[in-house]
Amino acid sequence: MSQDRNHRISNAIDSLINHLIPSNPRDDEQTAQDRHDACFQIVKSIIDEPPNPSISADVNHASDLIKRKLIQSNPSQALRFSNLYTRLLSLPVLSQKWAILYLLYQLSDSPDPSEPLPLSPLRQPVQRAPPPPRFTDKERTSKNSTPATIPEEDALADAFAPGGLKKLPTERPRRSLEEEPVPAQETASPKKDARRDVSLKSMLLADNSVDYEPSETALLRDLPFTLQGLSSTTLPFASDTTLKLPPTLPPPIISLLHTLAEPSLLYRGLSTFVKSPARGLLDQSLRAAISTELRSYLTLVATLEGQIRRALSSLDANAPRGGIGKAGVTLKRCVVWTREATMGLRLMSLIAEESNNKRGGQLISLIHGFSTSHGDPVVAAFAERLLADVTRPFYDILRRWIYDGELSDPHLEFFVREQSPNDEAQKETKARGQTSVWNSKYEVVDAMVPSIITSDFAQKVFLIGKSLNFIRHSCGDSQWVEAYSKTSSKELKYGDTATLETWIDEAYKTTMQRLMKLMSTRFHLFDHLQALKNYILLGQGDFIALLMESLAANLDRPAGAQYRHTLTAQLEHAIRGSNAQYDSDEVLRRLDARMLQLSHGDIGWDCFTLEYKIDAPVDVVVTEWGNRQYLKVFNFLWRIKRVEFALQSTWRKCMTGSRGVLQSDDENVLQTWKSTRGVLAEMIHFVGQLQYYILFEVIESSWTELQKNIHKEDCTLDDLITAHTKYLTSITHKGLLGARRRQYHDSLREAAALGRETAEAAEDRNSYMIQLSELLRNMLAYRDSVDGLYSWSVSDYTRRQEVDAAGLMRNANRHESQYHHDGGDDVFGNVAGAVKSEFPALQERLRQLGLTFRTRLQVLLGDLAYQPDVDMRFLGVSMNFNDVYQPVRRKSKSAAATSVAGASTSGAGSASAAAAAKA
Amino acid sequence: MPSDERSEKQAAAQQAVDILHEISTILNCHLDRRSLSICISMIENGVNPEALATAVKELRGEVQQTQIEATSSANAPAPRRR
Repeated sequence: MSQDRNHRISNAIDSLINHLIPSNPRDDEQTAQDRHDACFQIVKSIIDEPPNPSISADVNHASDLIKRKLIQSNPSQALRFSNLYTRLLSLPVLSQKWAILYLLYQLSDSPDPSEPLPLSPLRQPVQRAPPPPRFTDKERTSKNSTPATIPEEDALADAFAPGGLKKLPTERPRRSLEEEPVPAQETASPKKDARRDVSLKSMLLADNSVDYEPSETALLRDLPFTLQGLSSTTLPFASDTTLKLPPTLPPPIISLLHTLAEPSLLYRGLSTFVKSPARGLLDQSLRAAISTELRSYLTLVATLEGQIRRALSSLDANAPRGGIGKAGVTLKRCVVWTREATMGLRLMSLIAEESNNKRGGQLISLIHGFSTSHGDPVVAAFAERLLADVTRPFYDILRRWIYDGELSDPHLEFFVREQSPNDEAQKETKARGQTSVWNSKYEVVDAMVPSIITSDFAQKVFLIGKSLNFIRHSCGDSQWVEAYSKTSSKELKYGDTATLETWIDEAYKTTMQRLMKLMSTRFHLFDHLQALKNYILLGQGDFIALLMESLAANLDRPAGAQYRHTLTAQLEHAIRGSNAQYDSDEVLRRLDARMLQLSHGDIGWDCFTLEYKIDAPVDVVVTEWGNRQYLKVFNFLWRIKRVEFALQSTWRKCMTGSRGVLQSDDENVLQTWKSTRGVLAEMIHFVGQLQYYILFEVIESSWTELQKNIHKEDCTLDDLITAHTKYLTSITHKGLLGARRRQYHDSLREAAALGRETAEAAEDRNSYMIQLSELLRNMLAYRDSVDGLYSWSVSDYTRRQEVDAAGLMRNANRHESQYHHDGGDDVFGNVAGAVKSEFPALQERLRQLGLTFRTRLQVLLGDLAYQPDVDMRFLGVSMNFNDVYQPVRRKSKSAAATSVAGASTSGAGSASAAAAAKA
Repeated sequence: MPSDERSEKQAAAQQAVDILHEISTILNCHLDRRSLSICISMIENGVNPEALATAVKELRGEVQQTQIEATSSANAPAPRRR
């Protein structure tokens, strides 16, 4: 078998030699035979050498080699090759496909055996064509020196097709290239083209391209320096952004140099950027990342330089174009080699430029945008790589923030920021009393949230850090924070978003739990809320009743005569005497009674207030604004309570009085008392309904809602604050103290103090608060009048008693009843007349007040009946359950008010009613 | 039947040579069909491709030498081999 094989090989070699070596007709048989033998020996010896182990018997390897080669030289051919290759693989006949391919690879681009005939047909003229003439056209105008910002040229026409270059240099006259080198080429080409062959043209062009100064070798020698941004003799940098090209070069070379100038200039720009001072940590890290990339670029340049050196040293000075085509390193090749690096440099310089007006998170967003949404996978991968370095300081800040609760961000690059004290928006909230350590210390800057994290996520991060910070600084529990940061601190890095998210979630849960625990156990937040409801919102009935009873006498006096110590003493008394004494000390010591700011004419009732002192950190939930709301509700409820108290004491007096002192046989007086009692009962009913509504329908239901919200499983402090604010708002709104009316409320109180000039306040026609306070005032006035009536009745009674007594005495004295009758009139007529004269005025005033009350109540009911809120409508219904009142719509109010005002001579309401009528 | 098989095989071989010739054209190998098929048969017989490539180059060098001699000695045109 082996014999057979050897024989066949020998035969093959024979025929190969026969085929390749031309028989020279002039040689004789012997010479031909000798030559044939010699060749046979050579071939045989070469073939019999042991095989080189470096080749692996792999089809794919050989084809890869070929493909790579073709892609470099001619991509369209590469495609064709792949087609052919697949066809070849499908053929069954050949067993050593890889070897054949490898052979072809080895033989590829081999010099044509029929050289050196210049006119010999060339196989691949296309490959040898110089850069297409479009460049010459384009670049001619800018050939002298141009800033290199040329588009990437099609540099794929490989300089590696040296077929035409082997020819000895012809002694063409050197053209002065400054004058018209291009037309020379252009006129030459069509002529030749027309005459013979495309290959000829390319060869001639190749000849032409030999002649320029500085030569390609000189340019190549200087190229590494240029690529590093250094000036050289042939390619000096004119300024930071321009590279001066020698004016003597032909346009194709110029265009090549333009392409090469791009990375040079970009490198120069970037290296100055890297050296420029950074404005922040992220800026700094960006510079570091870029300089790392630049280092790898320099490595590339160094490799390139090595290649160039080696090529230049092996140059054959006699060869055409300095023999450069053979050496394998040409300008074109350099263009190809620096291509990818140029892309990177371009991207970096873009980022560097953008980074000037971006900072922190915006910078990350910018690079992240490149890495996620750029269509070019190379750019995306590059940006991704850059991002890993650039985001490092960001993740450091993030780590400090979510594990230590410290904002270590000296350059304001994080998306959480400490609020500046002179911020417009903040001033506003401060003015509204809604600021607290919790929500005004830090804020999220939306523009700075990098796109690598979602806004939801950012909010979570913000909350974690804020909570930790709050626990540490406001709750004084830094020990826990430290322990926590020690146990759970983890290195955060760009990359696996999922892990990061789970960590953040974990941190979030832990901190929130801790914070809630602290709030409920250490700071008794829920106890405080309960206490506020009990005392400030009058939930603790026995306490309030006792307090009012003991303070009543005191508070009737003018506000100036109120002393703090008496108030606190009465408060203490009320606590001791009621179930409040069983409340915890923590709560009770916060309770305080004091006077509001006095103004002239106030009596104690107007100024008295209970106060519940809240201190940090609970004031985060019960803010200053919340405190004000509580106070407002308390004052309102206190007034209602006071009116109720007054009405009831009067009622009691009347009831007891009616069995004794109020008895009279005067029909008129009895009638007056009867109607008075009716109105009084109406008022008591009204106050009772109002109180019931506010205490039960409003406060209790809101409280239930609040309890439900704050005892949820995953309740955060933010939820708590929101729930509490909602609770207060719903109380003030439904409790007829709506926020809309607030600005009027204050002015009303002031106005009420200043001689009841309620004109402006009454302008606000929808204000329940004003209507109610008018009603309450009305009731108090009525009650005063009833008291007046009562004292008149008492004095009347006394007078009658006295008359009776005197009559009895006279009877006893004179025993004459007849005389008594006449004499009594005579003696006491004057006195009785004087006392009696008060009665019609009182009667008239009571009637008037009762009427006003009724009118106002009807207006209020009319308003309530058209409320959107169901609870408030229900209040109207419960006040008027038997339809005794006719609810009046607002529209007709002015008419009613005018009639009232016209009829009335005095009374608190007339002024406002008149004003309303005017309006 | 065997003749059928044979012709089939021949057609396949023909096809393979066609394809390889095209590839060699793409790669500028300057091999004509005849030399290519010789090379293929050698390789099929187990010749090391690298060695064969060297051999072919060597032979070509030989040819050029002869040609230079020929052109220098006489003005006669070199024989065309393709």
